[in-house]
Amino acid sequence: MIYLDNAATSLLKPKSIEAAMMRAMATMASPGRGGHKPAMLAADTALDCRQAVSRLFGMSDPEKVIFTLNATHALNIAIYSLVKNRDRVVISGYEHNAVTKPLHAIGARVAVASSPLFDPVAALEAFESRLLGAKAAICCHVSNVFGYILPLEEIAGLCRYYGVPLIVDASQSAGVLDIDFSGLGAEFMAMPGHKGLLGPQGTGILLCRNSAEPILHGGTGSNSAIPDMPDFLPDRLEAGTHNITGIAGLLAGVRFVMRQTPAAILEHERRLCGLMADRLERIPGVRVYRAVNPEHQTGVLSVTVDGISCEAIAEALGARDVAVRAGLHCSPTAHRTAGTLETGTVRFSFSPFNTIADVEKAAKIFGSVIKNL
Amino acid sequence: MLHYYIMCRSLTYAQRAARVLERSGITAILTRAPRSISYEGCLYCIKVSEKRLSEALRALKKAGFNSSRIYVKGPEGSLTEVKR
Repeated sequence: MIYLDNAATSLLKPKSIEAAMMRAMATMASPGRGGHKPAMLAADTALDCRQAVSRLFGMSDPEKVIFTLNATHALNIAIYSLVKNRDRVVISGYEHNAVTKPLHAIGARVAVASSPLFDPVAALEAFESRLLGAKAAICCHVSNVFGYILPLEEIAGLCRYYGVPLIVDASQSAGVLDIDFSGLGAEFMAMPGHKGLLGPQGTGILLCRNSAEPILHGGTGSNSAIPDMPDFLPDRLEAGTHNITGIAGLLAGVRFVMRQTPAAILEHERRLCGLMADRLERIPGVRVYRAVNPEHQTGVLSVTVDGISCEAIAEALGARDVAVRAGLHCSPTAHRTAGTLETGTVRFSFSPFNTIADVEKAAKIFGSVIKNL
Repeated sequence: MLHYYIMCRSLTYAQRAARVLERSGITAILTRAPRSISYEGCLYCIKVSEKRLSEALRALKKAGFNSSRIYVKGPEGSLTEVKR
């Protein structure tokens, strides 16, 4: 199997992750639920993970690193903390349903700062013209469909200038791009544990600049005699038993990323992405969504093929043991912006564990599949 | 030997405080606070020896930890808040 669906979930993981999870299963109980050794071992692992994450993202306070189920859960906490019914919210033209659906449910008035693919100057202009008076801004760092790197630092600067709190969706950039959360001045940043951070599914992280409103209420192992949720982080946002097995795996993933460095991982994935684009561009009828300036794209590549449905291509590739994703990738907003809403795209997304040989073989199979459809 | 209990608002806070003290060479035991002094329910505390209390408080203050309630455990086991 050549696995090229890492933008959904990174399947190939460092061996240390499985070992950490097995150890957690065998030795750890629940942090904050006892003073015995298995509970304290779990608590140590949770704090180690918070501290590693805070170092990776330039934060000084690990208590503002919140464990969530996934990025969607983290984004919901952030959005429900800042946005109320009828509030005007500015979002980029590349947002995921994890952003747009909560905004729809709340009844927010959404202004889409739509701008062409791989054009960061246009993205900035689109944000600047809409930020005045907005209650919040939400921006993905990288489009999950096209790998387009939005000019996050500059957008964050505009938000600071206009006094608009910013929520960053780092689902596709965490572990791949260097991010200084404190320097951005963003209110929140959400990310999954199971993509670029190489942790297991069922893990996510929310970074908070200040506090937030809980969307789950329940036991935290603290302030048990008081009916309200604690007023301090992380307990305020972490009701219920932690996924400590997942957190142990996530810690191993974060440590792997820190050892390799996001810059080295990005360089590797970009090289593979560029090679795949080179190969696919040679095939007649294939449109490759590739940045002219490679610095505007990560290791995520979308393509369409004239007259052939994306789903049929992905299914045929799957039958030949090449795993990719086709369709709208839960991001109709991005497809609307890029003009691919009617067709969707076939998406290739790379990881530190993919190789040049994977790309060459997958590209060859792709060419063969197209001929036969 | 008398021991002092430095109360902490959460487990995470207590863990961080304990790690600061360990890095300062001060033996600190992270433990669940006795129910009689956990007015809000289920708190954690850091247990330090009488000799190291001042040093521990200085280290915590330097690391940015806010002051919190401190209790001393008497010979008969009763806990009394220390006025500062």
